[in-house]
Amino acid sequence: MNGVERPPGNPILRLEDVRKEFNGHVAADGVSLDVAAGQVVAIIGPSGSGKSTLLRCVNLLEVPDSGRITVDGQPTDAGGRVSTRDLMNLRRRVGMVFQSFNLFPHLTVLRNISLPQERVLGRTRADADARSMALLEQVGLAAKARAHPLRCSGGQQQRVAIARALALDPKIMLFDEPTSALDPELGLEVLSVMRELANEGMTMIVVTHEIHFAVDVADHLIVMADGRIIEQGGPKSVVNDPRVPRTRTFLSAIRDR
Amino acid sequence: MDHVGPILAAAPVTLGVTAAIFVVGALLGVVLVTGRRSGNRVIRSTARTAIDVLRGLPPIVFLFIVFFGIGSGAIRLSPIEAAVIGLGLITAAHMAEIYRGSLLAVGPGQFEASQALGLSRTTTYLRVIGPQAIRVAVPSMITWAISLLKDSALVSTIGVAEIMSVTNQDARSSGSSLTPFVIAAIVYIALGTPLAFLSRFLERRLSLSVRS
Repeated sequence: MNGVERPPGNPILRLEDVRKEFNGHVAADGVSLDVAAGQVVAIIGPSGSGKSTLLRCVNLLEVPDSGRITVDGQPTDAGGRVSTRDLMNLRRRVGMVFQSFNLFPHLTVLRNISLPQERVLGRTRADADARSMALLEQVGLAAKARAHPLRCSGGQQQRVAIARALALDPKIMLFDEPTSALDPELGLEVLSVMRELANEGMTMIVVTHEIHFAVDVADHLIVMADGRIIEQGGPKSVVNDPRVPRTRTFLSAIRDR
Repeated sequence: MDHVGPILAAAPVTLGVTAAIFVVGALLGVVLVTGRRSGNRVIRSTARTAIDVLRGLPPIVFLFIVFFGIGSGAIRLSPIEAAVIGLGLITAAHMAEIYRGSLLAVGPGQFEASQALGLSRTTTYLRVIGPQAIRVAVPSMITWAISLLKDSALVSTIGVAEIMSVTNQDARSSGSSLTPFVIAAIVYIALGTPLAFLSRFLERRLSLSVRS
């Protein structure tokens, strides 16, 4: 596969020939990808290129039409029926952060983070709350524990969303344009939390338009267009010396913004 | 002659019948909306047809079908039973539509976040979607309850001794038509007004954006 350098060991995530079509529009056209534990992969590309769809296939928010997805040794074949138990096991190992945060507005920040722990991992309320507070501390929002999400800024909400996903001790974190809905300043505080997470060794796949973040933090950069990976490699070399014309066009469009 | 006494005495019947119809409708509405959103096509279209038919019928026609048609055949139904079943089913269809709209208002992001976190379907509905949807649904539900309180006058036609039925008898026996009906009107308004206030109060109370 394109002669890309691969870290040793079994990949924690493997996508094999993943294909997904929406009403004749091919969003993922046979994409294969390995992600090693601890690796940070950034995916860039024009809108409609299929990067979000690919990400959503990883935790089966979208069920691929064909292909195979293996998360932490657990394979899922498209087309076959996925049992609820397998689905739950898969999603417990994969955390996801959305562009629109999707916090639960009727619950406090603390309950947002604790409820899934109680329901999914069976933690007691006290244990869950302790873990939630530690994570809120980590993302700098301990003071907001009792607040409702709508009383928080977008950047704060997104940091809570990250804490909520981390609370389930995922093996992989997926970020779907986590800063696209935020003012640049608020985006920075989210990016700094993500940077910290990467430094701690979390395996991350980040769909983003933040080229600087991709170059600084990611180990591997993937460029997608028309449902395919058109170029990939070390972020610096891809950004500074793109080989595919389509990549060049896209990168200059982003820089000119 | 005392018109007020007997009419007021019938008020609890009106309230009780209305409450029973509402409770039956609110609960059966959950069943209907669950069917309406089912992944199974047969269940889904059955529920949709039931909702459309119940909403499309004039309530008095359905009431007569239940009471005179079904209720006088193999199963014997008292007027009150027929009233609660008949109007309860019609209410259920409307509730199902109110619930459906409220669930849609919650938005797909909340479902996706719940799925991504690995919450079960039950937990998703009980802890995440339901509490948000009910906030959207409550004002419409109370509006329906107010209509129901007034439209319960309909069940006088099958002999339930509620406000309208008692007023009718009073008017006939006393020979005075205006006074009894004006009294009935005042009683209906007096019963309905608190509900309107409750609706406005809950609307403010349940709004998520105003909470601190």
